[in-house]
Amino acid sequence: MSELNLNEDQQDCLQEIINVAMGQASDQLARYLDTFVYLKVPSIEQVSTLSLIETINKNEKSVAVVSQGFFGYEGIRGEALLMYQPKDSDRLADLLGYEPDELSVEEQIIDLSSILTTTFLNVFAKQIDNQMSYSAPRLLAGSQTAISDHLAQQSFNWDLALKVKITYQVTDYSFNCDMVLLIPESAINNIKAVIDRILEEF
Amino acid sequence: MSFSVLVCDDSNMARKQVLRSLPEQLSVNAQLATNGQEAVDLLRSQKFDILFLDLTMPVLDGLGVLQTLKDENITPAIFVISADIQPEMQTKVIELGAKAFLRKPVQLDVLNQNLKSHGFI
Amino acid sequence: MSLDEICSDIANKLNTGILIIDNEYKIVLWNRYLEIHANKNIDNVKGKNIFEVFPELPEKWFKRKVESVFQLNAQSFCSWEQRHHLFELQHTRPITTNSHFMAQNCTFLPLEAKNNSQHVCILIEDVTDVCHYQTMLNKTLEDLAQANRIDGLTQVFNRKHWEECLEKEFSRARRYQHGLALIMFDLDHFKLLNDTYGHLGGDKVLIETAKVISSLLRLGDLFGRYGGEEFAIILPNTDKMGAIDVAERIRVAISENVIKFQESQIKVTASVGVAIINENDLRYEDLIANADLALYDAKASGRNLVCFAKEVAEDYNI
Repeated sequence: MSELNLNEDQQDCLQEIINVAMGQASDQLARYLDTFVYLKVPSIEQVSTLSLIETINKNEKSVAVVSQGFFGYEGIRGEALLMYQPKDSDRLADLLGYEPDELSVEEQIIDLSSILTTTFLNVFAKQIDNQMSYSAPRLLAGSQTAISDHLAQQSFNWDLALKVKITYQVTDYSFNCDMVLLIPESAINNIKAVIDRILEEF
Repeated sequence: MSFSVLVCDDSNMARKQVLRSLPEQLSVNAQLATNGQEAVDLLRSQKFDILFLDLTMPVLDGLGVLQTLKDENITPAIFVISADIQPEMQTKVIELGAKAFLRKPVQLDVLNQNLKSHGFI
Repeated sequence: MSLDEICSDIANKLNTGILIIDNEYKIVLWNRYLEIHANKNIDNVKGKNIFEVFPELPEKWFKRKVESVFQLNAQSFCSWEQRHHLFELQHTRPITTNSHFMAQNCTFLPLEAKNNSQHVCILIEDVTDVCHYQTMLNKTLEDLAQANRIDGLTQVFNRKHWEECLEKEFSRARRYQHGLALIMFDLDHFKLLNDTYGHLGGDKVLIETAKVISSLLRLGDLFGRYGGEEFAIILPNTDKMGAIDVAERIRVAISENVIKFQESQIKVTASVGVAIINENDLRYEDLIANADLALYDAKASGRNLVCFAKEVAEDYNI
């Protein structure tokens, strides 16, 4: 498995790009939900397939995972996984502005995940002079094994997992989710090139 | 006339971005802080004319710094530069004594404009 | 051909529906694919309100979806797994499916027109095939899972699944302070029966017995094969009297049932143990232990008997 071997400057640059993306995405989300979003600094770490699968299996309650493919120019592409414990699911509909029985739990999770993923990646892309397109978001089958299987299969397509831990607190309702960006090797090199280009400006 | 400037941000890149965006005609004496606590310590021991402050930082965050400076009546001209751009946040920092709120990534002309309107250029 | 003409040509030959609406939900454009599949007797949809042309659309939901695209300037999706279809379009697939209408994946894209007015482009993809095969696959997986829960011979729950059920029922009974009863019965002299009639005879007895008992149980009762000739039944929300009553009916039904096998008429009896949940039981295994002891008592006391767990040491027999 490849490693995104970033030196301190490159790591710092990536963190900053993600911070700004997170900040803007949160603002858009907040205005869409008509509320205030408490933002914590997103932590970034590289994870291996194995540890990712372990994290999923470690959770006693079944984890909800929504997967969405993204692709931009210069070969920057991958799969975004949003993983979270769905609690208070009837409040999600309320949060998104729907009546509770207007849409199913699955649809609520998918909608919310899609908003988080696309707004974040759009802002991220803009900062690196890129533009993203997306595939339809999918809710992966609920069981632990199905998710682990999916990841194991996917590991042929990607080599690196960047886990961006997002914690959102929306006024009196808080939910956490982990966003994991699965990126193939070719894209890793492209991202490094972009980071270096940005650093050169300094 | 030379201004003493403190740039407080946990990101090295962000700090560089601020310095690089300062207008050339402005003569500055710059120092850096990597988190809110460092900034407060520096501000207590020296006088600074301008503070550029990030919000999301470890140890002591931007709001914490603003509150501390307000309580201790330390008054550099504070410009908040942050990724968290929600309107509520912007209002809050102004209430706590910041002169202006700038969104990241900081732009040369925006910074220029703000420094001008607060009498530094 | 100019680029515009080429694009227009492609748009009309594409196997995907393209529908463009403005921020007042009026249709600005639709492509030939939609003209053909929509089956509407409308010459010109331009300028018409989308809900007039497609009254089947869930208006409130749809508006919220489109608003999110305008507001966030981001794509949004609706897959067939969430809603089978949005637009009622005839599908032209060779396979027969449950629905007349095509299963759809819809993508909502933000567009910016030159004069800065906002539009949303809706792409409509026919995924009827995918829907059909996925549904079949899900059914097969469900059947497979079901098979994993069932004892092949008798078609009642296998031990593993039955125990899992007991674990759940035990927790539930504990949490909500409900009653829970357990009946365990074991066919008497089964080894002798096997030796006399062979394994096929023994199997027939098991199958027939399971059938007879199943018909005596309620919908919520959980019937499983615990061992070779041992069966167990979970009776949620049942008290001592209720459980003993059922146990006795089981005993009688088995003793009266005649099983035809080849030229013979086989008769068999069962020993039955009954236990109900009490405060001393810490885990579901305790309940099993109590029922098991009662079953042992029944065997020791002469077989073809119902015994209740030692707490209230009363035996019933005929």
